[in-house]
Amino acid sequence: MTAVIYKSQRIAYWYFALALVLFALQIVVGLWIAAQYVVTVPQAVVDVFPFSTARAMHTNLLVLWLLLGFMGATFYLVPDEAQSELAWPKLAIVQLVVLAVTGVTALVGFFFGWTQGRPLLEIPTTLDFVVVAGALLFLANVGVTLYRARRWNAVQGTLLGGLVFLAGMYLFGMPFYRNLAVDWYYWWWVIHLWVEGAWELITAAVAAYMLLKLTGVDRKVVEKWLYVELGLFLFTGIAGTGHHYYWLGAPRAWLWIGGLFSALEPFPILLMVWDTWRAAKDHPGALRPRLTWVYIGGMAILHFVGAGLFGFAHTLPQINYYTHGSQVTVSHGHLAFYGAYALLNLSFFYFAIPRIKGLPGGRYDERAGHWGFWLTSLGVVGMSLAFGVAGVLQTYLERVRGEPYMIAQQPMRFWMMIVFAHGLIVLAGVIVTVTHLLTLKPERAAVVVPLDVPVPTSRAVGSA
Amino acid sequence: MSTRLAKAIFWVGTLVSLAVFLAMTVHTHRSFDALTHADALDDHVVAGKRAFERHNCNDCHTILGFGAYYAPDLTRAYARLGEDAVRRRLEAPEVVFATSYRKMPQQHLAPNEIEDLVAFLRWVSNIDNHDWPPQDSPNRWKRSTERLLATATMTPAAALVQQENCLQCHALGGTGGTQGPRLEWIGGRRDAEYVARYLADPDAVSHGSRMPAYPNLSEGQRLMIGEFVVSLAADRRAP
Repeated sequence: MTAVIYKSQRIAYWYFALALVLFALQIVVGLWIAAQYVVTVPQAVVDVFPFSTARAMHTNLLVLWLLLGFMGATFYLVPDEAQSELAWPKLAIVQLVVLAVTGVTALVGFFFGWTQGRPLLEIPTTLDFVVVAGALLFLANVGVTLYRARRWNAVQGTLLGGLVFLAGMYLFGMPFYRNLAVDWYYWWWVIHLWVEGAWELITAAVAAYMLLKLTGVDRKVVEKWLYVELGLFLFTGIAGTGHHYYWLGAPRAWLWIGGLFSALEPFPILLMVWDTWRAAKDHPGALRPRLTWVYIGGMAILHFVGAGLFGFAHTLPQINYYTHGSQVTVSHGHLAFYGAYALLNLSFFYFAIPRIKGLPGGRYDERAGHWGFWLTSLGVVGMSLAFGVAGVLQTYLERVRGEPYMIAQQPMRFWMMIVFAHGLIVLAGVIVTVTHLLTLKPERAAVVVPLDVPVPTSRAVGSA
Repeated sequence: MSTRLAKAIFWVGTLVSLAVFLAMTVHTHRSFDALTHADALDDHVVAGKRAFERHNCNDCHTILGFGAYYAPDLTRAYARLGEDAVRRRLEAPEVVFATSYRKMPQQHLAPNEIEDLVAFLRWVSNIDNHDWPPQDSPNRWKRSTERLLATATMTPAAALVQQENCLQCHALGGTGGTQGPRLEWIGGRRDAEYVARYLADPDAVSHGSRMPAYPNLSEGQRLMIGEFVVSLAADRRAP
């Protein structure tokens, strides 16, 4: 399939376009945040535009653009899988406008101190209700489309399950909690069960769909591995929430449960890497355009390194006692979000946009895209390593030696400068990628081999 | 592997983990009251939490290790800094951090907001969270007391600290007051000369400080106390 069949799939493009603009904006704010660790910002500036405001913008832009990307991907994928138009295409446009207006209001509001004041969930409660309304429109639209089509399969089921899970968890972040410990307990129901639960489901479904379409591998094989991956993701991920409960005033048993379950979290990601590698190896002819595979491969590897390895490095309570709440967490956070979710979205954009634009064979002039990928990825990897060094310094100086916070921060400033430098590389890469994606041109070479009907290989069928 | 087995892995894996998680959630809720001293969680503390959120404190500071990493963790800030220093940072950050390379915004807090925030931080500092963070751990202060008993009590500086009743307001080792900052903490950040100047005229060094001046001591005595305080740093920096 190299062109969209259903008209409503095209709506996805506007979600992707907005997501990409917000992504670029997120990096710009990120650079300002990094700069504040390096230079001394005058009191007059701090009074008007403190670090906290910029940080709220940086993280909310991240969440907003990733969710818009997921929603766009869903609107692209669902009609194709259900083999029918979206139930209410116009509602999908309305929903985008609602979410865009909410997002802009929230960002401007932060500047004027309109905030719920809880990290990542800063959007004020009033706007939370608008977000919930937007989410309900979205779920209704997708749910009714799938229900009417009655062509249930594992990919759709996983995607819908992930989306309902995502929306449901958001509710736990809305109330005011009197007790700070209870507050953080449920804060993690949103954040952890998103990134190590609901979002993994969505990622698995979207990645499985892309692999199906690109390689034409037997659906039964893909679905079978999808069940196993999801089983492992949820087995390790749900009780693995406990690795956030070590030091918030919860019972000591969490040190065991959180440690044991979360130590297993790298395994399902490893299975995903193996799955991608197998798909690529078994279908060498399908690796076109190459950029799609650079992205899918990059996603598999950096998802494993960022979320799996960097996460494991400080998930055991014996280590986490010293690293908790330091720049070590920041290092893991940046590489994991990029590797798992930024790259998933960008992979899907590179898969879907040429098809929405009807470029022949799903091909496009991909040269600039490679620059974009390598600049951004090397930038983020370098940044995460610099955060990591800063984090190890902080852990040793502040936590082990007991030096006061500001004394320990002093030698870290050099490494935050390295972070800033890599941030510039990331910004360059993101500008290249965003421009490239929004202005995809047909391949220069005139000869295009249609890949409309990929032939399943005997091997794939045989291993079923 | 058959699809049947794959589906079984999915359901068993998910449900086992969910069951563990929900059972632990019940257990946690039963333990929260005792671990967080919920009986002390009055409206004052709750108002403090609301002020903490209203001013987005948590997007610079961590608390219980969560939040942004731009400013010190607040879990034990009350115990580490003392009530007076907490209040001063909330009232006049531009004065307290005038020479610091990192600033805190002046948010023009109302007096009652400051009192609420102090109450909130006092309550938070008592949460039993398995002795985190390590840099504020009472075990560290106990070691500091042992060091003190082994060496410092015999010095004239220790006698001066005793004579001037410094521990009425400052904590030291396992004892002392919570009006001023903990002496080991001061020792980690300041040198002896600074402490000596502070003793001579606190208001001149840090405008608005509520600590009394000690003009009754000689310059040499003040410097001696300064050196004593620096020697108390929780983990002395290498020379």
